[in-house]
Amino acid sequence: MEYVSPEGLRLDGRRPMETRQLRAEIGVVSRADGSAVFEMGNTKVIAAVYGPREVQNRSQQINDKALVLCEYSIANFSTGDRMRKPKGDRLSMEISLVIRQTMEECILTHLMPRSQIDIFVQVLQADGGTRSACINAATLALADAGIPMCDLVTSCSAGYLNSTPLLDLNYVEDSAGGPDVIVGILPNLDKVTLLQMDAELQMDTFENVMQLAIEGCKAVANYLREILLEHTKKLESCRGV
Amino acid sequence: MVGLSLGEKNFIKGGIAQDIRTDGRKRLTYRPIFVETGVIPQASGSARVKMGATDVIASVKAELGKPNASHPDKGKVSIYVDCSPTAEPTFEGRGGEELSMELSTALQRCLLGGKSGAGAGINLSSLSIVEGKVCWDIYIDGLVVSSDGNLLDALGAAIKAALSNTAVPKVQVAANASLDEQPEVDVSDEEFLQFDTTGVPVIITLTKVGKHYIVDATAEEESQMSSAVSISVNRQGRICGLTKRGGAGLDPSIILDMISVAKHVSEQLINKLDSEIAAAEACEEE
Repeated sequence: MEYVSPEGLRLDGRRPMETRQLRAEIGVVSRADGSAVFEMGNTKVIAAVYGPREVQNRSQQINDKALVLCEYSIANFSTGDRMRKPKGDRLSMEISLVIRQTMEECILTHLMPRSQIDIFVQVLQADGGTRSACINAATLALADAGIPMCDLVTSCSAGYLNSTPLLDLNYVEDSAGGPDVIVGILPNLDKVTLLQMDAELQMDTFENVMQLAIEGCKAVANYLREILLEHTKKLESCRGV
Repeated sequence: MVGLSLGEKNFIKGGIAQDIRTDGRKRLTYRPIFVETGVIPQASGSARVKMGATDVIASVKAELGKPNASHPDKGKVSIYVDCSPTAEPTFEGRGGEELSMELSTALQRCLLGGKSGAGAGINLSSLSIVEGKVCWDIYIDGLVVSSDGNLLDALGAAIKAALSNTAVPKVQVAANASLDEQPEVDVSDEEFLQFDTTGVPVIITLTKVGKHYIVDATAEEESQMSSAVSISVNRQGRICGLTKRGGAGLDPSIILDMISVAKHVSEQLINKLDSEIAAAEACEEE
C-alpha cells in the first residue's frame, strides 16, 4: 500500500515532515489541581494531576522526595473496535510506567518530600501517537498544578514508510508494519528522556528518523509554550494584575 | 475530597432548609446544563454533558450480532459506565469499580426495563434485522471525566443525547437465504436511520438532606445526604425505574411525595434537555 504518494503527500494530505494539527486546553477538570486536554489530529487525551498531597500508602512514602504515580486508561469507545476491558491490561501498565518514569525525571521531587503526586491520563480518542499525546498533556497538567519542573517534556513519534521518514504517525501509518520511533525530550536542556522503537531499521536511517522526531518534539514544545503563555495572561487578567 | 468542617456542614444543611443552597440555587433548580453531540467521531453516536463541574461522555456503538435465544425478535443493548481516575484520585486502579457497577446497573434498570425486556425506554424490537439470526447489538459506554455530584442524572442525560445523535446504518438482507444458514447482510454506508428517542426517559435524583429534598446535588451536598431516590420519568410522565440509595429509612409517604416532585421537575428537565440537544445538533451540522 502506498503511504506516500509520488507528489510527496501522505494519506491524510500532510507532508512527511508535518505534524498533525495540535490543540490544547488547560484547566478542564475543575476538581483536579491541574488538568489539560491535548489533541494531535484525531488523538485526544485528558490528563489530570492531583498533588502534591499526603501519601496515601504510608509504606510507599519516600523521606527525601515526592512519590510520583501515574495511571493510563483508555476509554471503551476510543478505538475503532470497542475495547472490552479499559484497565489493568499489560499495555496500559507499560504505558503508565513509561509516562511515570519520563515525568519523574523532570519534576523537582526533592522540593516536596514525603508527598505524593498523581498523574492520571485518560485517552478519549486513539488514532496513533497516544503515548506522545499523554506525555504532552501530562506536562501541561503539571504546569497547571504549579508543580516545579526543570523543563517541559514533549514527545513525538516518527516512522519510515516507502523510504521516507514520516513525522507523527496516525493509526493507519502506525499499523503499516514499518518502524515506529517515539522520542521524548527536555527541549531547553536538549536532552532525550524517552526513546522507544519497534520493528527494524538501518543505523543511518534510524539517525534520520530520530532527528525528525526530535524536531517534531521541539515544534510541540513551541506550541506548549504558546498555550502556557496565553493561559497565564488569562490568569493575570482574572486576578486584576 | 477535602473533609468538611462542622461549620460548613451546618451551613449546607441550613441553606437547604431555607431554600438557598451554597451556590445560590433553590432546592429544585438544576445547574446550567451544556450538551455537545458528536464528540466521538468513531462512534455511531456520542454526547458530552456538563452539569456544573460534573462532566460525562456517553458513546453509542452499533454492531451486528446474534439475538438472544429467549428473545429472537429483539436486539441487545448493554450499558457500561467507567469512572476515570481523572475525576477522583480514589478511582485509580480498581477503586472506581464499585461506583461504576452501581451506575451501570442503575442505568440498565432505568433504561432497559425488566428481565423480559418489557417496558424498555429503547424499543428493542426495532433493532432486530432477521428474527432469530441477526440483530443490532448496541453498546452504550459512559465515561465520568469530572465528578461533582449527580452522576446518574448527568449520565442519563448524556445517554439520551447520544442516542438522539446515533445513526444506525440501513441494512439489506439477502433474499435467498435458507433457514439454517446465517443470512448475508449488507450494511449500507450511505443511508442511516436516526434512533427514535421519544421514549427514552431522563433520570432525576432527589437527595434528602435533613427534612428537605434537593435536585442536582453537588459532591459536598451529597456528603450530607441521608438517602437519595433516583426516579426515571419519560416524556408522558410515566415512571420507568426507581432506585433508592443510602442507608436511612424513608417513610413511604415521603417516597410518594418525592415521586410527584420528580415528575414535576422532569417536565422542565426534558424540555431543557431537548432544546440543548437540538442546539447541539444544529451546532454540529454547521
